[in-house]
Amino acid sequence: MSQAVVSINYKKSVIDAVIAGLLALIVFGPIVGIVLDGYDFNAEPERLMWIVLTVMAGRLAASVFFQTSKGAAFLYKHSSKEEGVHVLPPGHKSKLRWIIPLTIVIALLVPFIASKYILTVVILGLIYVLLGLGLNIVVGLAGLLDLGFVGFYAIGAYGLALGYEHLGLGFWSMLPISAIIAAIFGAILGFPVLRMHGDYLAIVTLGFGEIIRLVLTNWTEVTQGPNGMNAPLPTFFGMEFKRRASEGHVPFHEFFGIPYSSVYKYIFIYLVLLLVVLGVLYVKKRLTKMPIGRAWEALREDEIACRSLGLNHVLVKLSAFMIGASTGGLAGVFFATYQGFVNPSSFTFFESALILAIVVLGGMGSTLGVVIAAFVLTVAPELLREFADYRVLAFGMLMVLMMIWKPRGLVRMTRTGVEQREGNVK
Amino acid sequence: MDIILQQLVNGLSLGSVYGLIAIGYTMVYGIIGMINFAHGDVYMVSAYVTAIAIALLSFFGIESFPVVILGTLIFTIFVTGVYGWVIERVAYRPLRGSSRLSILISAIGMSLILQNYVQISQGAKQQGVPTLLSGAIRFDVGDGFVQLTYMKLFILCASFIGMGVLTYIIQKTKLGRMCRATQQDPKMASILGIDTDKIISTVFVIGATMAALAGVLVTLDYGGFDFYVGFIIGIKAFTAAVLGGIGSLPGAMLGGIILGLSEALFAGLISSDYKDVFSFSLLVIILIFRPSGLLGKPEVEKV
Amino acid sequence: MSNAVIRKTLVSLAVAGSVTLAHADVVIGVAGPHTGAYAAFGAQLWNGASAAAKAINDAGGIDGEMIKLVKADDACEPKQAVSVANRLVDSDEAVAVVGHFCSSSSIPASNIYEEAGVLQVTPASTNPGYTDRGLPNVFRVCGRDDQQGDVAASYIVDTLGAKNVAVIHDKGTYGKGLADAMKSTLNAYGVKEVLYEGLTRGEKDFNALVTKIRSVDADVVYFGGLHSEAGPFVRQLREQGSKAVFISGDGIVSEEFVSVAGSPKYVDGVLMTFGADPTSYAAGKEVVNQFRADGIEPEGYVMYSYAAMQVVAEALKQADLDPIKAADWLHGHKVETVMGTKSFDEKGDLLVSDYVMYEWDDKGKYSMLDM
Repeated sequence: MSQAVVSINYKKSVIDAVIAGLLALIVFGPIVGIVLDGYDFNAEPERLMWIVLTVMAGRLAASVFFQTSKGAAFLYKHSSKEEGVHVLPPGHKSKLRWIIPLTIVIALLVPFIASKYILTVVILGLIYVLLGLGLNIVVGLAGLLDLGFVGFYAIGAYGLALGYEHLGLGFWSMLPISAIIAAIFGAILGFPVLRMHGDYLAIVTLGFGEIIRLVLTNWTEVTQGPNGMNAPLPTFFGMEFKRRASEGHVPFHEFFGIPYSSVYKYIFIYLVLLLVVLGVLYVKKRLTKMPIGRAWEALREDEIACRSLGLNHVLVKLSAFMIGASTGGLAGVFFATYQGFVNPSSFTFFESALILAIVVLGGMGSTLGVVIAAFVLTVAPELLREFADYRVLAFGMLMVLMMIWKPRGLVRMTRTGVEQREGNVK
Repeated sequence: MDIILQQLVNGLSLGSVYGLIAIGYTMVYGIIGMINFAHGDVYMVSAYVTAIAIALLSFFGIESFPVVILGTLIFTIFVTGVYGWVIERVAYRPLRGSSRLSILISAIGMSLILQNYVQISQGAKQQGVPTLLSGAIRFDVGDGFVQLTYMKLFILCASFIGMGVLTYIIQKTKLGRMCRATQQDPKMASILGIDTDKIISTVFVIGATMAALAGVLVTLDYGGFDFYVGFIIGIKAFTAAVLGGIGSLPGAMLGGIILGLSEALFAGLISSDYKDVFSFSLLVIILIFRPSGLLGKPEVEKV
Repeated sequence: MSNAVIRKTLVSLAVAGSVTLAHADVVIGVAGPHTGAYAAFGAQLWNGASAAAKAINDAGGIDGEMIKLVKADDACEPKQAVSVANRLVDSDEAVAVVGHFCSSSSIPASNIYEEAGVLQVTPASTNPGYTDRGLPNVFRVCGRDDQQGDVAASYIVDTLGAKNVAVIHDKGTYGKGLADAMKSTLNAYGVKEVLYEGLTRGEKDFNALVTKIRSVDADVVYFGGLHSEAGPFVRQLREQGSKAVFISGDGIVSEEFVSVAGSPKYVDGVLMTFGADPTSYAAGKEVVNQFRADGIEPEGYVMYSYAAMQVVAEALKQADLDPIKAADWLHGHKVETVMGTKSFDEKGDLLVSDYVMYEWDDKGKYSMLDM
């Protein structure tokens, strides 16, 4: 970029601002300025004025800024497409390699220092980490936009409740079974949609998520419909975390001769969940280095090229769907046991959008980003209860701005380069 | 017999509304290949604007039905059209050339923004508009009767007129020719001197005006609405667009009517519990076996 | 607008601060939807409970201990209900809770209160599942959906003498629970419903369902659901020329019902079951006047919430502030409240339900029917 002095056309900026103000008046005028009250209305000119003035001031500032050389540089930087994966030099050692063991140690200590309330918030955060990781495989790595991911979450959660209710199975049996059932549903969904891509896929998966929720709501004989079902707590070698254990079981606190506290159950859920999350993180890290992971990403970037190179796209897509779905199922089981109760209202489309927001904001394909985003999006609303009304609005704005500013998310996916080796084939 | 006929009437009026909203999806998809996820919420905004227009008109003492309906239509269509333009400008144009995934996510974000912005400004309560036109035509069929309200008749007429005008614009006018050219080959169209950005904006505005027409009609007919109405009807309208073949204008209308009729018949003859499961399954099945829909052209994958 | 938000935050911080400072007091949570779509109901709960707490504190508190209220927001989401319940029992060390509002929040939260040995009295959750799970610590000062269903069913059979009853619900926890309760009482009377179906919340076109109702010649339509669907539904029923009597529950008690229906003429003659007017009790006259003097209309659940707080305070007083003993005490004793004398059965439900039938008129108002 040359540092040539750019003259700023203020007249143009002012015209821009006036036009923006007029548009804001038309757009916000009826909805913000006139509040319906029965068949009547109340005028709210003051807040309308503030919004219009903000828009005008913002447009004026932006218009002037983009005419300066800095602004032009900014525009140039962000209009360039950030495609593909950022490759680091061979032998690159991440600065984060000390942070990972440190985080794990802190994570292990959390239940013993945090209060029960903080612990439950962190558990919820970890559940969303799991969901984000699952969807990240499907959307971030394989590039298959899934808007019905909440369906697998629901299958996992209801798997635990139904298995307990109808088959008498507990947490430990249902944890793997639910994951497998979710994976099977992933395959059922995956097969027919293989031929589709992009937007069609998004709508079909959205339909699938809604179908699952509607069936859970309507199939009252089995799922008790909107009344919801109770879900069991995990047991520790057959010991229950209740004040009074059910028949044939010993309560955990009596066995160890310590006074009863409900915090033990959350500590236990937390530790199991942490182990599962670490396991999933590890598996995912390995998967991205294995041929299957590379195939996912290749398919995301160019499906036709992959197929002409002989990649079995059926297998590749199905595996992404199934692994993603089973992770969602695991998260569902933990959600059900944590809440002790499931009902269909926890599995609406908004939940899918929230998980998608985690993946997108974190950076599609990036594990670290997903972990950070999951915690930010679940913990922040807890801290900012007063702003809860604006939470969803902020989500929406973040999604739009993030796509404009950094289409690939906060933390870009990176890959360590490979040193060229002498092969046998010359 | 009278029951089946009545269900056909129900289905036809519901279907014509689906068709009107489906036009917005199908035109936008045809021209830039994206699903405008926020389109259902544009419809929702138009429902609010309708109620506001009626409240304003009655505030100024205007009560006669033709004036109120005309004033409401003009006001709503204008405001909603501007919404369509602004949404395209803010959330989609900066992303032109990005991957389809990014644009779709931006659209989902836009949909959340619209819903919550309306919820915050207007409150989370249920809203309604007063009944402007009541009364019905009654046909006696055998022992029973079929009732067609004047409002339903009005919906049918207005949506077919709207469709007719739009078809004329697209098929016969210069603007329509430019739209079709951009749809077929945006690069070539721009070389030939068509401002494609402007055409894309126009298409968004047209889609929004059709949604506004549907918004006025439905709001007057059903009375009640809230900030969440756009979601379900948006998905249904999208299903209609896909059913008819996305990108095809007559397809959208045909798909809407088929979907409306089959929903009414399914709910009436089998179960209204599983009506939505039926519509979503229909969508999935069509996409699997005939992704190009009834009247659409098969998509050719280009390298 | 942002100024107001900041001020609100500061106030809530100050409230939170004062709560932690005054730890020796009796901490009671008021849990409900203080934000979100049902925030109006959360405000009713808070108004009732805080007025009662103030009155009790002015009269010397519970055995000299002052009541400190903590606002707990669940936004009517089960997930958040669990989270705030944990915060109440853990960080705030509440001994009792007045709330929650939605049944789908009260039920999961009650498990946490039970484990922590906290007394829970809800002023508004009517789902039978709340008390039917046999928890020792749960009570309610409102009716149950099945009691409401009983009243509606006996009215349909005895007063209306209806033969063809169509039962419709909105597939929600509340709506379906209500419709099912009504249906089972109806069947016990020997009347079999001619139609039992659900509609989808959020939709507005119920014409297909209405035609189906016409096809079975229903003379009574019972709807379990909220006014958002009841309005368009009853309108479409009338527009298709059906004259069936439309009956629903307390989910349509809102003036929005009329505006959603499009005109008062459509709601004319609609019947609904609802608790006897809570402001009509002699015991509550003074409190009602006090509310009006303070500029608060004691509508909806305000008085219920007031009564719930009185029940909590009385039980804690009798049990020396031990919530587990207080729950035991409540199972066998009567409590005087602003809504009359309340006594509870072994599950924690009211022994006497106060549901009566109301009718809407062509002005868009409702009034109690003499039965």
